[in-house]
Amino acid sequence: MAHPETLDRLVRSVATQVRRRRAEHHALRGAFWAALPAVIVMALKGPIGPYAMVIGLALVPLGALVGAVWGLARGTSQADAARLADRAFALEDRVATALEWADRPDRTPLVDALVADAVVRVGALSPRTIVRRILPREARFLPVPVLAVIVLALAPAVPMPSTYLPDFTPGGEEEEKEARTGAGPLEQRSPREARERLRPPSFEERDFAARSGAASASTGGDLSAVFKDTSLSSQRPDFNSLLKKGDERLKLLEQVDRLPDLASDFTTSQYKMVFKKTKALASGMRPNDISPSKLKELLEEMERLGRKGGNWTGEVGEGMEALEGGHNDRALEAMQKALDKMRAQEDAQRSGKGLRGGRDNERGGGGRDRGEGGYPDDMDFGDGEGLLPGKGKSASPKGEASRRLQASPYDVGVEGESRRGRKDGFDTNMTGRGGQMSSRLQYLGVIGQYRKMMEDAITRESVPRDYHSQIKDYFQALDER
Amino acid sequence: MTQDARVQEFVTAFDGLRAEGEKVIVGPREIITHVLVGMFAGGHVLLEGAPGLGKTLLVKTLSECLELSFARIQFTPDLMPADIIGTNIIVEDAEGRKHFQFQPGPIFAHVLLADEINRATPKTQSALLEGMQEASVTVGGASRPLPAPFFVLATQNPIEMEGTYPLPEAQLDRFLLKLRVRYPAIEELNAIIDRTTHAHPVSVERVVSGAKVLAFRELIREVPVASHVRDFASGVVMATHPQWGDAPEITRRFVRYGASPRGAQALILGAKVRALSEGRYNVSIDDLKALAAPALRHRVILNFEGEAEGIDVDNLVSQIVESVEATATRAKEPFLR
Repeated sequence: MAHPETLDRLVRSVATQVRRRRAEHHALRGAFWAALPAVIVMALKGPIGPYAMVIGLALVPLGALVGAVWGLARGTSQADAARLADRAFALEDRVATALEWADRPDRTPLVDALVADAVVRVGALSPRTIVRRILPREARFLPVPVLAVIVLALAPAVPMPSTYLPDFTPGGEEEEKEARTGAGPLEQRSPREARERLRPPSFEERDFAARSGAASASTGGDLSAVFKDTSLSSQRPDFNSLLKKGDERLKLLEQVDRLPDLASDFTTSQYKMVFKKTKALASGMRPNDISPSKLKELLEEMERLGRKGGNWTGEVGEGMEALEGGHNDRALEAMQKALDKMRAQEDAQRSGKGLRGGRDNERGGGGRDRGEGGYPDDMDFGDGEGLLPGKGKSASPKGEASRRLQASPYDVGVEGESRRGRKDGFDTNMTGRGGQMSSRLQYLGVIGQYRKMMEDAITRESVPRDYHSQIKDYFQALDER
Repeated sequence: MTQDARVQEFVTAFDGLRAEGEKVIVGPREIITHVLVGMFAGGHVLLEGAPGLGKTLLVKTLSECLELSFARIQFTPDLMPADIIGTNIIVEDAEGRKHFQFQPGPIFAHVLLADEINRATPKTQSALLEGMQEASVTVGGASRPLPAPFFVLATQNPIEMEGTYPLPEAQLDRFLLKLRVRYPAIEELNAIIDRTTHAHPVSVERVVSGAKVLAFRELIREVPVASHVRDFASGVVMATHPQWGDAPEITRRFVRYGASPRGAQALILGAKVRALSEGRYNVSIDDLKALAAPALRHRVILNFEGEAEGIDVDNLVSQIVESVEATATRAKEPFLR
């Protein structure tokens, strides 16, 4: 069965529209890309000469013409044109199906009915343009190079840098005039003349008379006058004063115990190191542009530091979760909170010991072996100590917790009374004697880990969905204590 | 008879069946339409909805409109396969000789209503498998063909899940379409009250015979499908597979298993019926879009995340269709190529 002429005519019409739109599309693109070299040509119209105007003004229409020819030359398949017609005229794929099935050997009797139906419907259509115009991206910027070409065409030639070497010598105007008019380029001068011009001036010609501070008049050509400084030469060093002050400084240096521990306070400051890395990572970048792997490394480092007694592991855990969820901004926010806590802890430590002078082991009892004068807040747990319930050393005046529990299962508390405000942990919950005890649970230090374990457990154990929010609410309530 | 006349006859029968159904059933017209689509496409239909929404009434009404035998099985946990397909029983003839005689079960009917199919055990549910796929059952080593046309309409209740046995994926896949019967609007509820509490019950007329149904099924298979329409159907089915390279993000995130090739067959066959019921001789993209949810919703299995997030499969299928359409439009746009 031959294609009905009506359907073929419709498809040809659509294909023509497509080619025309393509020609427009590519003509605009061609004009834009041709306008760029046209701008360059017009900018160089001075050196290029009178042909620049012709070339520059011809390039833009030439590019448009090439683009249009390219667009017209590209073919459109019959199926694509039929599909476009179906869509544009709401023919519900009748034309495309009819054209595809009309020539097939396995066509069914219904195909004849389909073709007849399609012909009737297409015949009732009123012709109109159905292919919409799609402007290329370059079309928006086309006015810029075109305007530049026009402006450059109307404007005088842009002055080009001269090939002559500038004359820095204080010679007379005659020589300069001679060089501009009579003499050619440097290569055209005689070698002797060129050597003469490029010869460096001698030092003897310099005039040092105007130098300030020169008390005595220097003779012309005396190079040593440069180094004469009468203001300094009139003074003599006071070695006695230097020795006197030096003795005091040397005595100070002998009292090493009074020197501030700069290395401990500043160089090895965890907060400063991490803060520097954070700043280096995030400076000038949007959160989404920051490398997640770098961010993760930093968070892991903070988590490692936090395990040694810091109370920012909860924030680090939140940051890790946000990072896994692809929310860099939330991860950064959590990291900033953790940094704030690190800084607060650093400040607390420094306010207690850093500015007092003396060595670390003499400041408040020293490290883990501190005695009565120790600072409980400075307690530094080792790896795996004090992070989980039941671990860590107890210095309770009531004895070890295990023994007390064996004796009385209800005696699990510590002495003291609750302090007002938000608590950083069970240890800061106390004032009085209870607050001085060194065995405690870094509450906020572990709640983040527990919450993460809870999230893993929910996923792994296939907890019913209805219970997810309940479990999460419970941990949220723990975190808000 | 000309092709136009054949198509017109089908349109008349389809509209007549729908009109008879609407005499009794109040509610969304698309449910009746899709049931008829499933029947004329030669498939089986699963109706899912809360109790009292008229699922059983719909099937009974449809069977009354067709000159076909009708059987109903109320699925219960103690129902046995033999209760469905039948069994050999010992009978004694006039001469006193005993022999086995096959006693056919209710499955030997043209229209079978499997009511609350998810209440029977998997063993009993699987007794339907062979009948649904092969249109025959095997009893005592002998294969017995089922009457043609054979059409299973099953119902299940999604809210009373205690003591039920959810249909396995293999059996779900054998249903051409899965329809969700929604709760009626207040106007529809008023109409239901008026119709069902009236002194004179509504009676329906027989519209189509079994032979006509078979003839229409042949006509439907003659409907041509353009290659780009077929590609669209394949694209939609493939896009339900998370392992497919061009699968949309929502599929990769929430889907565990995608639709089987039966899903593509269901799409095309259903679209052919829909096209012909509208008096159209070809399948369009719109037909596929209209049939995508009923044909694919029971073939797409969500993963844990999808279940946990409460993803609605109908929305998922809708988004997949939109994604495939956008991709096809971009790829096939001749102006941009």
